[in-house]
Amino acid sequence: MEKRQTEAAPIRRTRKEFLAATAAASALAGSGTAAFGAEAEPVNIGGLYPSTGSFAQIGQGCVNAAKLAVEMVNAGGGIKSLGGAKLNLILSDVQSEPTVTRTETERLITGNKLSAIHGCYASALTLIASEVAERQRVPLLTGSSSDQLNRGGRKFTFTPFARASQFAQAQLRMSHLVTNKPKVAVIFENTAFGTATSNGLKEQAPGENVEIVMFEPYSAGFTDASPLVNKVKASGATMLFAVSYLSDLINIVKTMKQMGVNIPLNGGSGGFVIPGFYKNVGKDAEGLLGVAHWNHDMDGNAKRVNAEYQKRFGEFLFEYAGGLVAQTYMIADALERAKSRDPLKVRDALADLDASKGYASMAPGGRVKFDDTGRNVYGHPLGVQWQHGDLASVYPKSDARAALLKS
Amino acid sequence: MLVTVAQAIVNGLLIGGIYALVSIGVTLIFGVVKIVNFAQGEFLMIGMYITFFLATGLGVDPLLSLLISMPVLFVAGVLLQKFMIRRVLGLGDMPQIFLTFALSLLLMNVALLLFSANYRTVQTGYAQQSIQIGPLYFGAARLIAFVLAMLLSVGLEIFLRATDLGKAMRAAAQNRDVAMLMGVNPDRVFGVAVGLSLALAGAAGSLLMPFYPVYPTVGQVFTLMAFVAVVLGTLGNVRGALIAGLMMGMAESLGIQFIGADSGMIVVFVMLLLTLALRPSGLFGGRTI
Repeated sequence: MEKRQTEAAPIRRTRKEFLAATAAASALAGSGTAAFGAEAEPVNIGGLYPSTGSFAQIGQGCVNAAKLAVEMVNAGGGIKSLGGAKLNLILSDVQSEPTVTRTETERLITGNKLSAIHGCYASALTLIASEVAERQRVPLLTGSSSDQLNRGGRKFTFTPFARASQFAQAQLRMSHLVTNKPKVAVIFENTAFGTATSNGLKEQAPGENVEIVMFEPYSAGFTDASPLVNKVKASGATMLFAVSYLSDLINIVKTMKQMGVNIPLNGGSGGFVIPGFYKNVGKDAEGLLGVAHWNHDMDGNAKRVNAEYQKRFGEFLFEYAGGLVAQTYMIADALERAKSRDPLKVRDALADLDASKGYASMAPGGRVKFDDTGRNVYGHPLGVQWQHGDLASVYPKSDARAALLKS
Repeated sequence: MLVTVAQAIVNGLLIGGIYALVSIGVTLIFGVVKIVNFAQGEFLMIGMYITFFLATGLGVDPLLSLLISMPVLFVAGVLLQKFMIRRVLGLGDMPQIFLTFALSLLLMNVALLLFSANYRTVQTGYAQQSIQIGPLYFGAARLIAFVLAMLLSVGLEIFLRATDLGKAMRAAAQNRDVAMLMGVNPDRVFGVAVGLSLALAGAAGSLLMPFYPVYPTVGQVFTLMAFVAVVLGTLGNVRGALIAGLMMGMAESLGIQFIGADSGMIVVFVMLLLTLALRPSGLFGGRTI
């Protein structure tokens, strides 16, 4: 991938300059020229994110990134094959609730002429939105990782990033990098997300030569992590995998330090890879490992978007939000080739997508092409590590942007 | 093995101190004013936010902020009694339940509006420290919280037994009408009871802050535990709530250790159901306050 300028000097440009630069870049890369004169009717795309409720913190970041992405596409001249039509982002708050997600997705699709949708952060919510999108025949792009999103003959659901099963494999392989003959304790919240992820770890562990010495569900939102940490300590594990939401994970990490349990930890993705984790845990987060489907240090494009996001919102662009910027560009790319706002034609153009340059290819490995199940055939996860308050890509070798720190 | 059990008991006792503090607040209001305060956890949440903002804004140590969170919540309690609880007393159970329940929802949502759903923590020097005695670890922040919680509980007990106001409170708890006939001013006594109860919730919040993140719905977790402890320890019985709080902390911790990490609540609620079935008036039945 391209790596010009960003490495040497951090970008300190004004918002206008940034958008102008983006515009110039896409004009160069784009096909055809923007039409002048009469303004073309905008293209509606939907964004479904939980900006209130238990995922609010992350959902709000997603909304910010979604707006930034649309602004970037529009500053780059919009959709040239549609006379320079601008993207019009219609947001809907799914409130972290499955029932609300169903009604909001229905309402969004039936109430607006949408060409495509992206959302919804939590897999449990995305699965519902995907069902509605399939029924209403509108393409949905998502960074959610559940393998179920690629099952059941879905035709309108596209997943450009790594799947849950791939995350499990990456976590297991990474354990060999920090311990010899890993003996792993797996603790997971007893929710759909926790159970599915941990089962993936359990199934693949024998094949990856990892011994699981403890496999323990816990009730999410506990008052005290010390009993659980005590149990991990007693298990004799040499590494801990935690499949947890943010508050539990903060407690677990802090309690481990207090109780002298100094084994490496892989915190997975979700709440672990957002700036809020480091803000809360502080320097005890240094060296902790996780996995992500996107990271802001991947390539020049990712760094550029990250710099702009950081300037506006004061924190780095996290996994899910960064991924959806790429998704917005995939939608733009499909619209460009479909030369139509019709969701069916956009769907077909997405199915034919093969992006290897520009923001649409901003994924680990730098290439996006979907198979029949909507899975990106080049999709794979990144191993990440907290280093100096920032999240660095450290695994696999081809994607590593920093050396792995061993404690 | 022995070490693991001992560590589990230590862990349970330390968090049990916090449960006890919240439970004592609930039981005190119930004992004296005969009203169930569903919003107790939200006052704990307010105590945590006060501590958080003092620590991040002014650099006040969370433990020192006890001196601010407790008086602030005491005054809030007196006002709550004067302007809200007083008006629903004697109207039967329903309006009282609705009042505190609505208050709980209101405070939670106001907090959501003001502070957003973000988790916030305070970093202190001692939060990550622990004291090691033999093979056992005592988290410094937890140990301090436990000791202060016990001191506050003992202080309350002394207040109730040794001061005139405390005695008036116990009298009002035993028989409100007779106490009034004996010259006890119920408004004053009730105001102090609600004030003290909220001050204890505020104290619990301040003590929790060094090792627990604050967010608008944090009170819910503790309210649930507090209500179980209050029923176990007999509604209205301060010592009962204290002992039950500690017992629950231990039961939860041992349950997690030996049954399964998602069984903490199961153990606690089995204890509750057994108590209700075998000793419906709670483990420390009969005597209140």
